Amino acid sequence: MTALALDLDEAVVGRRQRTLLRRARFVGVPLAVALACLAMYLYVQSQDLDNIERRIITFANIRRAAGEQIEIALWATALTLVIAVPLGIALTRPWARRIAPIVIAVANIGQGIPAIGLLFFVYIQLVRSGSTATVLGMAIYAILPVLRGTMVGLQQVDRGVVKAARGMGMGKGEVLVRVEMPLAVPILLTGVRTALVLTVATAVLAAFIGGGTFGSLIISGQAQGRPLAVAVGSLGAASLAILADWVGGIVEDLLRPKGL
Amino acid sequence: MTVSSYLQRRWDVVLQLTLEHLIAVGIAVGFATVVGVLLAVAVYRNDRAVTVLLVVVNTLFTVPALAYFGALIVLVGLGWTSAITVLAIYALLPIVRNTVTGLREVDPAIVRAATGMGMSRFGRLTRVELPLAYPVILSGLRVATVLIVGIAAIGAYVAGPGLGELIFSGLGALGTARAIPEITIGTVAIVLVALVLDGLLALLGRFSTPRGLR
Repeated sequence: MTALALDLDEAVVGRRQRTLLRRARFVGVPLAVALACLAMYLYVQSQDLDNIERRIITFANIRRAAGEQIEIALWATALTLVIAVPLGIALTRPWARRIAPIVIAVANIGQGIPAIGLLFFVYIQLVRSGSTATVLGMAIYAILPVLRGTMVGLQQVDRGVVKAARGMGMGKGEVLVRVEMPLAVPILLTGVRTALVLTVATAVLAAFIGGGTFGSLIISGQAQGRPLAVAVGSLGAASLAILADWVGGIVEDLLRPKGL
Repeated sequence: MTVSSYLQRRWDVVLQLTLEHLIAVGIAVGFATVVGVLLAVAVYRNDRAVTVLLVVVNTLFTVPALAYFGALIVLVGLGWTSAITVLAIYALLPIVRNTVTGLREVDPAIVRAATGMGMSRFGRLTRVELPLAYPVILSGLRVATVLIVGIAAIGAYVAGPGLGELIFSGLGALGTARAIPEITIGTVAIVLVALVLDGLLALLGRFSTPRGLR
């Protein structure tokens, strides 16, 4: 199974295309999001809201939902990276050669795990707090793809380069830090971006277990038969996810070592 | 209640939901394959069009499922249609991406040779380029399938088909004996469905790819 790469477009299109793609994204994406939000704002303004709608659709609610979603996503991303990256490095060391394929196979299966089942399970069995359960659940969910990305990235580093560095008198640790890691940076960064996008997007599920986020606007709007609130929540959730991917893309471009 | 006693009592429901899950995923992947391959075929020669298509499909892919469901509740209402539409949207990215990759990776010399043999553009596409791209397209289909098997679980929120119903009903029954078995069975069954479909598509790839391309 190939990776759930969010960004293989760059492998598909050439270098010239990549620049084009980047530019189109850099300006186009936030512009489109801003326009959509503005349109929604004007539409809501033009509507006669009833009491319930006025209670759900407030700036305070929207700000809180966005804050909750971003906070959950950042914690989950941090947790994912702290666990997945060192583990990925450890598993690509020569002594772990036998375990590595097994871990990658498990990580592949992990893609089939439904986020929602995992989340409810963590909530019921481990922590009865919506937002903490979501952070944990999303971290578990995102660890597999990031771990896989880190391992594949490091394994992809040319063995010849590593041997050459060893021949120049570098120690194993030095080779890892000065040769292998920089060469694997693009793949690591894609992992960060994957984690960020995945967690921002799935964080909305927190609403099912009382963890807030834009999902809560969707769910309370639906429960009370107020489609307008559902639409506002949907747009908020979608905007955040799209912007997270956008930020991830920019970070990836900025941190990529020159020459790679 | 344990997982096994729950299964003993309600295996028929679990089986039916599993079938629903398979049907929904099958329809969504089928639909996405037709649309995705046609879109990819339409743009793959033009760099700019490829860029635009990939940005659009990629953006659609990042939007959370719940946001789509919210929007579709407003537009279409509850039911299978909403659930399957969303699944098809997610399946689009891997399929479009792989089809474009596969078509663009075909050796230009082969295409020129086909032209030289007097093949028309359509003939080149259907008899040379698409068959050569087939393994790549199929692997995109595989990724898409495994991916949406998991996402389909959320479809139960809009009264969609499949095993998600067990997971949500378990959450709704929080505190009762059936909560944990339902969530566990729903989740594990979905992983099994993903594994089985992944294996079947891998087999299909082995048997349907011409020997020279393996």
